[in-house]
Amino acid sequence: MDVFGSFSLLLAFVCAVYAFVAGIVAIKTRHPLLIKSARQAGIATCALIFVGTFSLIYLLFTDNFSVAYVVSHSNRDLSSFYKVAALWAGQEGSLLFWSFLLSIYVISVLIAYRNKNGELMPYVGVILAGVQIFFLTLNNFVESPFKALGAMQANGTIDLLTRQDGNGLNPLLQYPEMVIHPPNLYSGYTGFTIPFAFALAALLARYPGEKWIHLTRKWTMIAWCFQSVGILLGAHWAYAVLGWGGYWGWDPVENASLLPWLTGTAFLHSVMMQEKRGMMKVWNVWLVFSTFLLCIMGTFLTRSGVVSSVHAFANSQIGPWFVSFMALILVVCTVAYVKNRDYLASENQLDSIVSRESSFLFNNLLFLVACIAVLSGTLFPVFSEALSGSRISVGAPFFNKVMIPIGLAILFLTGVGPLLAWRKTSQESLKRNFGWPLVISLAVGASFWMVGYRHLYSDLSFVLCAFVAWTIFLEFWRGGKVLSARTGMGMVMSMHELAMRNTRRYGGYLVHFGMVLIFIGLAGAAFNKDVQKSMNLGDSLVIGPYKLVLQSGDTKAEANYTAQRMILEVLKNDKQIMMLYPEKRNFQANQESGTMVSIYSSLKEDLYVVYAGQDPDTNLPVIHAYLNPLVKWVWLGGVIVVFGTLLALMPNRRVALALQATPETAPTASAVRQGLQPSIPLREGHD
Amino acid sequence: MIKTKRLVLTLMLSFAILPLWVVNLTAQSDRAKQVGMHLKCMCKGCDMSAGGCSHPGGAFSGPCPTAKAMMKDVDEHIAKGETDEQIIQAFVNQYGAIVYVEPPKHGFGLVAWIMPFFYTACGLAVVVFFIGKWRKEPKPAAVAHNLSDGTKISLEAMERAREQARRETED
Repeated sequence: MDVFGSFSLLLAFVCAVYAFVAGIVAIKTRHPLLIKSARQAGIATCALIFVGTFSLIYLLFTDNFSVAYVVSHSNRDLSSFYKVAALWAGQEGSLLFWSFLLSIYVISVLIAYRNKNGELMPYVGVILAGVQIFFLTLNNFVESPFKALGAMQANGTIDLLTRQDGNGLNPLLQYPEMVIHPPNLYSGYTGFTIPFAFALAALLARYPGEKWIHLTRKWTMIAWCFQSVGILLGAHWAYAVLGWGGYWGWDPVENASLLPWLTGTAFLHSVMMQEKRGMMKVWNVWLVFSTFLLCIMGTFLTRSGVVSSVHAFANSQIGPWFVSFMALILVVCTVAYVKNRDYLASENQLDSIVSRESSFLFNNLLFLVACIAVLSGTLFPVFSEALSGSRISVGAPFFNKVMIPIGLAILFLTGVGPLLAWRKTSQESLKRNFGWPLVISLAVGASFWMVGYRHLYSDLSFVLCAFVAWTIFLEFWRGGKVLSARTGMGMVMSMHELAMRNTRRYGGYLVHFGMVLIFIGLAGAAFNKDVQKSMNLGDSLVIGPYKLVLQSGDTKAEANYTAQRMILEVLKNDKQIMMLYPEKRNFQANQESGTMVSIYSSLKEDLYVVYAGQDPDTNLPVIHAYLNPLVKWVWLGGVIVVFGTLLALMPNRRVALALQATPETAPTASAVRQGLQPSIPLREGHD
Repeated sequence: MIKTKRLVLTLMLSFAILPLWVVNLTAQSDRAKQVGMHLKCMCKGCDMSAGGCSHPGGAFSGPCPTAKAMMKDVDEHIAKGETDEQIIQAFVNQYGAIVYVEPPKHGFGLVAWIMPFFYTACGLAVVVFFIGKWRKEPKPAAVAHNLSDGTKISLEAMERAREQARRETED
């Protein structure tokens, strides 16, 4: 099967090269058969990559320990569930997984648009094939996952070997979320290839601006949603498995996943400027190019060993390949832009500084500054070593100091932006839209001040969260009220109907509300506290309102590991509320350790308990307890973000016939909000 | 209508009492831990601070031996009556600049702190420039776009290109 898999990938490489070359010739000659042939070669490439990937999965499931990758990342006792995770546990497998997920997108695009967009698709096909060629080169010639296990002999020959068992999967990866976190994150990384391909194709085909935006909106949102879910699942995994009490440590690999998310988010906002006003066309093209480049850079940072990270794969030789690929993309994008930039000229001018347009400009500025701050901070140790000869670390405190103010400014714009009208916002409209939110948020600020709690950033975060949440509520409320008056439906049903009629806009608001909840959760981190104690049986540990009593400990043997478990009674105000069972696991195959944190989670706080192991000096079990307020809001916010994105992806519900009886002169909620006459020309689309 | 007013009032009240709910949760930690949070654990295996080391993946999920030794040193420095800055400097003398958890605010480390301000200022300048440019620009109807070879592309040509894109693509 390893030969079969290896051959499939080689054939996939050949097909991708053919799709690329035939596609270029087809663009020049416009020969319909050649266009079709190139497209089918693209589909064949994807199918062959699927075969290669399933071959590796088969080898993992059948414990084929003659393959080096299977030996390194699996073992006989590893459960089937985690044998799937072994696919992306190592360098070679994860690169193949990249190709696999990219192929899902590519085959979907090639099939979905096989009879559409006849002039554009050959360009798209060539660009997608080009990206696939790069990854297939790595899969075939640099980091092949099908290498046989062998030993070099003195005479230079290699003896093929078969081991009885493998080294097993990294214990940190043996957690349910690790089976879904990487696929989500990778789906985000790979998904941005589609808007990139369409943007570059439209530029090469000299299409003026907006067309590729319409074509790729859903693909971009899908990629963005996967990226968001992937980041949040990664944070939850770090929280539940690593046992350090936190969920975001500004590790280089975490940062790498955040970079394309930041530019992708900026892009999702700035496309509205282009759709509505025909502005920022150049900016949008470059945002998509940058997002794709950052996806490649994220993969590079994770795998090249250029920055040290607890997540990163060990130093490898693939760094130069990624750097060359990024340089090539940059050159191609720059040449395409320079040659065809005239077709991206802005068609409108800015009427007022107090307008939706300028809020988008500042929104994009903040996202970009956030992205550059994270990128420069992540790479600073490398730069400092190269330029000053001394490697200077940049850890979490630096990122917190830089990113919190930027994050709060973005949160502020989240509240302000949607309430500003396109073109110009009147003073009356400002008063009407910002009056109550301002009063509510100032009341929150005053409450904090009066009770004597004055933590600047947390206070500000809560104040801004109140402000944004209230503006979102007002948007639903006012729209619902207008609809309710027209249709006679109740307010809740009207708001639901409203959301279904303009899914993009109200889905966006839901995403914003999810972000508000996430910010509430993040602000809670300012109140974290922890206690660590060596405990005898019957000893207790007090943290906040909780008292933890060590009742007993036991050992349980599972197929793949042995766990030492502590049994703790949790009391609150002297009343037992539950038992917690933190574990320390030892994995036999690789003699590595892992923790299994036990968490009592509520909306108010998480009681997070780690069994750290036995104190090396006293042999007593050491319990590390953390009290982390509001963490659950982060996960809850993530769920809302996903719901909002899914809503925004849904088609708008058609307006009911009953509405036709309504006088045409009745102002719409949007017109009331914007303080504008309905006659002001804006393009098709939704805000 | 009364129901909706109640809903609005309840929401307003919830926002107002939020601070009362979270306010009693303040964090405290001793000075050694505070100083330790500014020093990187030099075990080269966890990338955490010495004061916050929990060494994920280690046999003991608490401070690793390196972090423990560093924290013991911190305690000794505190006992000698040294200031936080002096303690951190002593570690820098021993390990080099790599021991900082965050870049120092002097020497080359200062660059890391200045950079975010620098590109925020640059970005702001660009935004202000474009806002000014877009506000001053004449209505687009009067504009003919410059082609890269110096010739002009007319609005009609632009519209033809747009029509071609529309014809050749479907959403």
